Amino acid sequence: MTPLLNVNNIGIAFGGLRAVDGLSLQLEPGDLQGLIGPNGAGKTTCFNLLTGVYRPDTGDVRLSGECLLGLRAHQITRAGLARTFQNVRLFPHLSVVDNLKVACHLRTGQTLAGAIFRSAFSRREEQSIDHKCRDLLDRFGLLARADEAASGLAYGDQRRLEIARALATDPKILLLDEPAAGMNPQEKVELKSLIAKVLADFPVAILLIEHDMDVVMGLCRQITVVDHGCVIATGAPAEIQRDPKVIEAYLGVPEETSA
Amino acid sequence: MPLLMPRWVAPILIVAFAVGLQWVARPLLGQYAERVAMDAGIAVVLAVSLNIVNGYTGQFSIGHAAFFAIGAYTAGAVTYYASLLIWNSPVAMGLWSSQSVIFIAATILGGLVAAAAGWLIGLPSLRLRGDYLAIVTLGFGEILRVLLQQTNKQLYTREELHAAKLGELIPPPIGGSLGFINVPKVANLFWVGLFVGITLLVAWRLKKSTFGRSMIAIRENEIAAESMGVNVTRLKVWAFVFAAFFAGVAGSLYAHEVQLTPQDAGFLRSFDVVIMVVLGGLGSITGATLAAALVTVAGEWLREPTHVWHLFGLIAIIRILFWPTGRLKAAIWWAGLIALVEGVRSLAIHYQVDLGEYRMIVFALVLILTMILRPGGLMGTHEITDALRLRNPKRAPTGGAAAGEPTEVPA
Ligand SMILES: Nc1ncnc2c1ncn2[C@@H]1O[C@H](COP(=O)(O)OP(=O)(O)O)[C@@H](O)[C@H]1O
Ligand SMILES: [Mg+2]
Repeated sequence: MTPLLNVNNIGIAFGGLRAVDGLSLQLEPGDLQGLIGPNGAGKTTCFNLLTGVYRPDTGDVRLSGECLLGLRAHQITRAGLARTFQNVRLFPHLSVVDNLKVACHLRTGQTLAGAIFRSAFSRREEQSIDHKCRDLLDRFGLLARADEAASGLAYGDQRRLEIARALATDPKILLLDEPAAGMNPQEKVELKSLIAKVLADFPVAILLIEHDMDVVMGLCRQITVVDHGCVIATGAPAEIQRDPKVIEAYLGVPEETSA
Repeated sequence: MPLLMPRWVAPILIVAFAVGLQWVARPLLGQYAERVAMDAGIAVVLAVSLNIVNGYTGQFSIGHAAFFAIGAYTAGAVTYYASLLIWNSPVAMGLWSSQSVIFIAATILGGLVAAAAGWLIGLPSLRLRGDYLAIVTLGFGEILRVLLQQTNKQLYTREELHAAKLGELIPPPIGGSLGFINVPKVANLFWVGLFVGITLLVAWRLKKSTFGRSMIAIRENEIAAESMGVNVTRLKVWAFVFAAFFAGVAGSLYAHEVQLTPQDAGFLRSFDVVIMVVLGGLGSITGATLAAALVTVAGEWLREPTHVWHLFGLIAIIRILFWPTGRLKAAIWWAGLIALVEGVRSLAIHYQVDLGEYRMIVFALVLILTMILRPGGLMGTHEITDALRLRNPKRAPTGGAAAGEPTEVPA
């Protein structure tokens, strides 16, 4: 059987630096996997390769058997890969609900002419988008703030809004880039249950980049560890924690080994 | 959901507005004020359309006059030569004559040709990130100005037209550097009001649609917009094509009001429009409209001092009263602006300087001061409807706030 997402041996070099070098992983429907590694290991670059921000020099990426190479970022999102960003990238001056509505644009069927003339179809579609987005905000506990500017949200809420926005694209695969970064312990606990809830409520598989070992170890079925662009270990959380290569890679990054 | 009127209400209001302008307001205005009002209307169409590119998508086009001139020359030539052929005279006929049909067709054609030019210019330059668009649009306007100077001399009679050889018709006989004159002067407050209304309605509905939201998302964070599935290049090009179309329409109105010269494609007019958009607040239709009216009237007033404090005051009051936040700053800004303009005017009178000659300098000063003191412009990104909605100060403005955010590096 073909896996939902099959990443096969992808790599990219920036000048002389091989930021990602021969990375492979498979994701099945409903999966929750972790991608970890020290700072600068190439995790975010890996997301950029998967989502079409960069084009890999080697290897290929297949979603349900379909090759994604050469597609532009918005086409890959349409195919079913949606992401969040390590540094929050909301549309700061748009309202919270409009942030989600933008993510619904790719599945709309109305034409520009229909929108200008306010055709019955475009009005109905606009209404169903509104319902969908408010429902999504409700699940994320953000409904009360739907009409406020996104930039006014607390940091933790902004991070959650980014996850909601990615979900609004109706993805098959959700790529989360350090969603717990900058969160306090309380918010991290909430985030963990939120991710579990997303997995239960939506038909998505999740690939999670995270530094917080508590979050990763508690959630993920399988973990891939990268260092200097290369995969150094793959396995269940318990195996990973005992792997000498992983422990070595993390030496000199004390805050992570202690976690 | 914001309050949605039945969709036929706005078109009826637009027609009523145009009729009211022509048959109620015009008799009260007098000829001079009528001309200024028409120029203001044309400026509104220009500013509101440029705002779709510079305000919604956050691109920076500084060659809007090029599309204005394309529409002006195209529509002007169609009406002029059609009138020569049909009536053997370029004299303007009444609103109810068949010439009006030609005028409407010419206006739409002018818009479409401008839109096509917008597409040709926009497609290659909007693919690239960065300031290529500014450079390309600026260059395009200047090239067009030179090209217009190289066109054939105008033909003045039907006989000349029939006798013309191919070499006199290509490049088109639109007057070269002498300018293109005698286009039937059929533009009036009715047509200007009608097209202003249509432009505002289309710009508004676009902004409120899924397309407009996505355009604003591009301005807010291009990388995130693309990653959320927005086809960034396509929407930028669409915004550009829309803007060019309405610039062409504005050009047609202008062509049927005064005579054309190649200067109309040049940087000076483009600069005027950029000022209006920046002064109004990037992305705000209300702001672009007010600023266009203000700049036009102020320009006239610098030429020939009359009392336009009413207009200054009115806009200041709208801005300060209706929008609850930042009242004090807005009041100070307005007081400063008024003092500055008044000061310049008194000095000019004292030294007997014709300020009309210096309006570019005055506008440039106003622009610089705006950028320093109120980078968000007159309205920020607020619309007049924000004041009518619930007075919740936390509520996001219609379609986001000020520009001036630095663009970000890739993810
Ligand atoms: N666009 C780029 N140009 C040059 N180097 C880059 C670029 N993007 C990432 N890198 C480099 O690639 C390496 C991996 O970065 P990144 O994927 O962001 O690491 P992380 O695992 O912390 O997310 C780093 O050394 C980074 O400096
Ligand atoms: Mg990273």
